[in-house]
Amino acid sequence: MEYVIITHNLTKFYGNLIAVNSVNLSVRKGSLFGLLGPNGSGKTTIIKMLTGQILPSSGKGDVLGIDVVSDPIKVRTLVGIIPEQETPPSFLTVMEYLDFVAEIRKIPEIEKKAAWWFNYLDFEDKKHVLCKDLSRGTRQKLMLTQAFIHEPELALIDEPLINFDPIMQAKVKEFFVSYVQKNNTLFLSTHLLETAEEICSDIAILHKGDLLYSGSMSKILEENRHLSEFFLSLVRR
Amino acid sequence: MSGLFLNMIKEEWRIHSTMFGSLNFALFPVLICAIGFMGTFLIPLIQNTLTLTDLVILIHANYLMLGLMVGAFGLLGNEVMNRRFGQASLLAYSARTLPLTPRYIFLTFVLKDTLYYFFLWILPLGAGFFIASLVIGIDLMIPLRLLVTLTFSFLSGMSCIFFLSTVYERSARLLGIILVLSGLIGSFYTIYYGINPASLFPALLLFTTFNVKNLFLTLLTLIIPFIAALLLYSPDTRNTTKIYENKMKPLIHRLRFIPYPSLMVKDMLDLWRSGSIIGQVIFSFFVPLVVIWFFLSLLDEYISILQLLFTFAMITGIIASTMYTWITMFDSLSIYTVLPVDVPVVIKSKITLFSLLQVIPALFISGICLFAGEGAYLFPVLVLTLSVSFYVLAVMIWLTGLSPSVLVYSARVMVLYFLLIGLILAIFSSLTMINPWSGIGAVLLFIPAYEFIKLGFRRWDRVEQGIF
Repeated sequence: MEYVIITHNLTKFYGNLIAVNSVNLSVRKGSLFGLLGPNGSGKTTIIKMLTGQILPSSGKGDVLGIDVVSDPIKVRTLVGIIPEQETPPSFLTVMEYLDFVAEIRKIPEIEKKAAWWFNYLDFEDKKHVLCKDLSRGTRQKLMLTQAFIHEPELALIDEPLINFDPIMQAKVKEFFVSYVQKNNTLFLSTHLLETAEEICSDIAILHKGDLLYSGSMSKILEENRHLSEFFLSLVRR
Repeated sequence: MSGLFLNMIKEEWRIHSTMFGSLNFALFPVLICAIGFMGTFLIPLIQNTLTLTDLVILIHANYLMLGLMVGAFGLLGNEVMNRRFGQASLLAYSARTLPLTPRYIFLTFVLKDTLYYFFLWILPLGAGFFIASLVIGIDLMIPLRLLVTLTFSFLSGMSCIFFLSTVYERSARLLGIILVLSGLIGSFYTIYYGINPASLFPALLLFTTFNVKNLFLTLLTLIIPFIAALLLYSPDTRNTTKIYENKMKPLIHRLRFIPYPSLMVKDMLDLWRSGSIIGQVIFSFFVPLVVIWFFLSLLDEYISILQLLFTFAMITGIIASTMYTWITMFDSLSIYTVLPVDVPVVIKSKITLFSLLQVIPALFISGICLFAGEGAYLFPVLVLTLSVSFYVLAVMIWLTGLSPSVLVYSARVMVLYFLLIGLILAIFSSLTMINPWSGIGAVLLFIPAYEFIKLGFRRWDRVEQGIF
């Protein structure tokens, strides 16, 4: 089996606080992997470490076979990232931001690719508006676009649906499913259990920095249990 | 107001103490106090070349300039707050969730900053001077009076620039008229009465003659522009959405010859669309330097105009180096963390834009050089200004990476900054005094500058991007 993310005892301390405690994860290629946990469980910290935004205190993380500590730029070249906070540059327009991303990532035919996303996420009318004047939902659409516009084989996304209305949530979930059907991998951090149950093929559950569970979603459902029930039984233990 | 005010004070403390550690930040005023203390011991030594009166003029000019630069935050109202605070959820955003008007919050914010700068810069210097005066036997009324008048100098600068920047926010034309009128009145005084307008600065008059009349006059010149500014202050609450033409692509095309042109274009658009290129040039560069020039001119009885010019060239270089903060203050760090760019690449693009912006100090110092009637020395003056500017930029990059306006409040950073800059100021002040053409030798500063930048790249590339 081919793995796109492997962590060995990945650990992060913030001062004396242990945010992530010796986490060992393996993410299969072609899976829709959900990293679940309550607020403050260490989900965002793991995504930040796996994308080279912060350094692990100890342990190791390989993304697409690359050690993220020794070559974070190579990792960021290959993957798509949506951070926890949607913060495109305030004084660029939507299209200018995508041109900016395209120039750095060396993406050809950006207009054509951007047009597909404008149409799919329904924000063509915001193309020439400054990012600072966008609603949170539109900013999130833009961040989603920048993460996928270079067609990465792996995307790491932090709470992707939180600013969307139900119609847009359904559309984005539909995109995620079709994305992994093309043998791409999606690493998704969320605390929305219904979403995870609906679309994830594999999950990991974190609580206070500790990894409580890692395995396939089907295993849980085979036991006739809902994810929320399983999740609460672990974190309340 | 007291609840919000106290919480803003706590918040400011926590922001800085989180960044540098409580001790490091708490040491900053102690450092300023130590500088004041040690500086006082030098007074008897330098009195032969620079009298106490001249020193007082210089210190007042510096604090006026500090006030002018700090006061520029009124320039863009909420935008300035947003940029300064980034995505952090701070009390300055309370208008969205609490029943408080933006003007009320802004007033509290201004008062909080005033108090903060008083305790960070003014009181420690005054205290250092006071303690040293006890030791060397200077009349204690002098440091006490200085503390009061320096506070007024700082507040005058802040109040004046706050007024001008809120006028600018309303109407750039009106600001132009006010500046031209001020220039004409200043020229009228200089030409017809032979009086340098800087000598009429109320805080300075108050220091010279401490009486009720001058105190009243000083307070009046503080309060009137401040109230006017508060009335003119207009928070950015427009709901209209403007459509912009795509400038990114054509500009990238034109700048194709530089690496990562998109990073530089982003910074250019930030500066232009926020209105801050004009605002910063006027309020953080032109106005403070013109004021400093007039104050320095008061010393021409003791120092030759040529020496003043070279001193001013170095000051212009230092002020010009702060343009680096103009092009770093807009950045939200997550812009870069989702893209395959590292810190040295981002810094390199900022250095390129910084180099383009150096046209402004080059033109300014050339104008001053010709105005002073020393056009023959234009070349060494120009070389000195630009070399100092690039050298200070390199020191800033090494010490603060991409966060110069924040990390400067670390005592360690400030000590190194002052030492490294003070050293070259001392060297080139002496050299240009002996031979003005030695100013050309400042070009050698590009060598340590290059090394500092290399050190900066290494240092900040390994720092976690969440805090770079």
